[in-house]
Amino acid sequence: MKRLVAAFSVVLRKELVDGLRDRRSLLSVLAPLALLPLMLFVAMSQASESVERARQIKVPVIGAEHARELTDWLDQQAGIEIEQGPDQPREAVRNGDVDFVLVIPEDFAERFAGSRTAEVEIILEGMDRSLDRAVGRVRDLVRGYGRGIADQRLIVRGISPEVARPVRVETIELATQQQRTAMLIGFMPLILVMGIFVGGLQVAIDSTAGERERGSLEPLLVIPVPRLSIIGGKWLAATAFSLASAVLTAALMGIGLEYSPLQRLGLRLELDGGVMALMVAAIVPLAFSVTALQMVVATLARSYKEAQSYVSFLMLLPMLPLALTMNSPIEDASWRLLVPVLAQQQLIQGAIGGEGVALVDFVITVLVAAAFAGVCLWLTSDLFRRERIVFGR
Amino acid sequence: MIEVRGLRKCFGEVVAVDDVSFEARDGEVTALLGENGAGKTTTLRSIYGLIQPDAGEVRVDGVDGIAQPLRARKGLGVLSEARGLYPRLTPREHMRYFAHLQGLGRAETETRCEDLVDLLGMGDFADRRAAGLSHGENTKVALARALLHEPANVLLDEPTTGLDVMSTRAVRELIVQLRERGKCVVFSSHVMQEVAAVSDRIVVVSAGRVIASGTPAELRQSTGLEDLEDVFVALTGRRGAQG
Repeated sequence: MKRLVAAFSVVLRKELVDGLRDRRSLLSVLAPLALLPLMLFVAMSQASESVERARQIKVPVIGAEHARELTDWLDQQAGIEIEQGPDQPREAVRNGDVDFVLVIPEDFAERFAGSRTAEVEIILEGMDRSLDRAVGRVRDLVRGYGRGIADQRLIVRGISPEVARPVRVETIELATQQQRTAMLIGFMPLILVMGIFVGGLQVAIDSTAGERERGSLEPLLVIPVPRLSIIGGKWLAATAFSLASAVLTAALMGIGLEYSPLQRLGLRLELDGGVMALMVAAIVPLAFSVTALQMVVATLARSYKEAQSYVSFLMLLPMLPLALTMNSPIEDASWRLLVPVLAQQQLIQGAIGGEGVALVDFVITVLVAAAFAGVCLWLTSDLFRRERIVFGR
Repeated sequence: MIEVRGLRKCFGEVVAVDDVSFEARDGEVTALLGENGAGKTTTLRSIYGLIQPDAGEVRVDGVDGIAQPLRARKGLGVLSEARGLYPRLTPREHMRYFAHLQGLGRAETETRCEDLVDLLGMGDFADRRAAGLSHGENTKVALARALLHEPANVLLDEPTTGLDVMSTRAVRELIVQLRERGKCVVFSSHVMQEVAAVSDRIVVVSAGRVIASGTPAELRQSTGLEDLEDVFVALTGRRGAQG
């Protein structure tokens, strides 16, 4: 047992040194990672632009000259653009030329000046629900304007505006914000998982398929130490690289989001050090399973190149479920905890969402990862026993 | 001391090794002589336990090599057919890696490394990365990492293949030195002169079978030929004529 641990740590140390000296491979991992904050920033900026464009509501107005003050005020509101309405508003709306029209009657100015209720009309077809938001916003704005005027009139007459407003309703839009945040939250586990996969790949391949291809496997296996200790050392070295990559990914992601226009997107995302640490902790068990899996697959390959393409293909595996579930809101299903990748996604989403990570959930993912890695290592050890694998028949 | 009895190994339909038996004694150099594909490598791999023979028995200093491969390997130093190095490690780092894996302590490792660097003349390149080493230098590193733990039995699979004159001489001198220190040395070769120069005992292998064995003198006597190369041709040729 002592020999096993000793051999294991010797292999681990050697593979770490060897991996760190592999500058070209390190660079091939680091370079895309370094681009991550930039990519995030660009993606977020573009998203916020498109959101803003969608929010821009064009308001066709007829009779704007009767209520200059109102239309100018409207025009100044965020996301509202006043334009000249069609001459025949009812017809234009019916034909679908415009979605709706704001009509200001001729007597508006006169009634307004006389402190009587002045009417404006919004003409719309009324069937298209998708317009509800735009029309609702215009309606609210006009009402808000009216309320402002009312407040002024009451103040002039020495009455507090609050007297005239016994109840006040504040509407806070949550749904859209949540959805957008959820999307971003779905996006982050995917990037972290990629960091895990990319980080360990080089050592996992180099210490298996690479070892065989350069003819150093046979001399290594001749040494009288249990195969499992050799494989274990290689595995831990690959895992160390994988974890370093994950931590780096998380940090760079944090930097990228720090400088991204999240507020303009209406996103509220608190990513302090604690949440980051929780995210990384949640992903740690995954690194152990992923590198073990990469080692089995790389050992099966006939050459270094073949191993590279197999292992790269492996990277698509977690993309599928993550991509499918990315846009759906956080769905609490315990079975996910039993599936590597999905489990980590669940935990990370919890961490970002501010719900934290339940210890028992984390322990479950650790156990699943341990079992998964154990099976993979046993398989690798078994493969290393086979003449076909060792001598490349 | 290495004993091989009735060793047999098939790869699919092909019988690579067929009823091979021989004995290699301590303080002697035993050569496995045979053309390419005769079964020398498969025999050696069976001794160091990376190949599971279909039949037969292997004993290393009395330890059953098939039932207890780990224990048997403790007494073995092996230069295998594959002798690749890690391109990003230096020869000295290779030696340390293997010494530590063999369970040598730090101080012992450093002494052994120095000894082998001197013995094999590796001073010039011991601290250069292995990526730029010549074939001869590469072989020396591979030899050094096989001998670090002072094994009582040394197996060398075609140790001089592809080496230039100077490196070949260095390897031969090493073999002689190992014998003088009482080691049991088994090496495979298809080069007659080399075998003649250093062997105490020759096992001639052809198509997976032992067709003759004995001291060089005995082989000369049994065939009535003076030159060992003629002996070899006669032995393999005779078999060819029969079969």
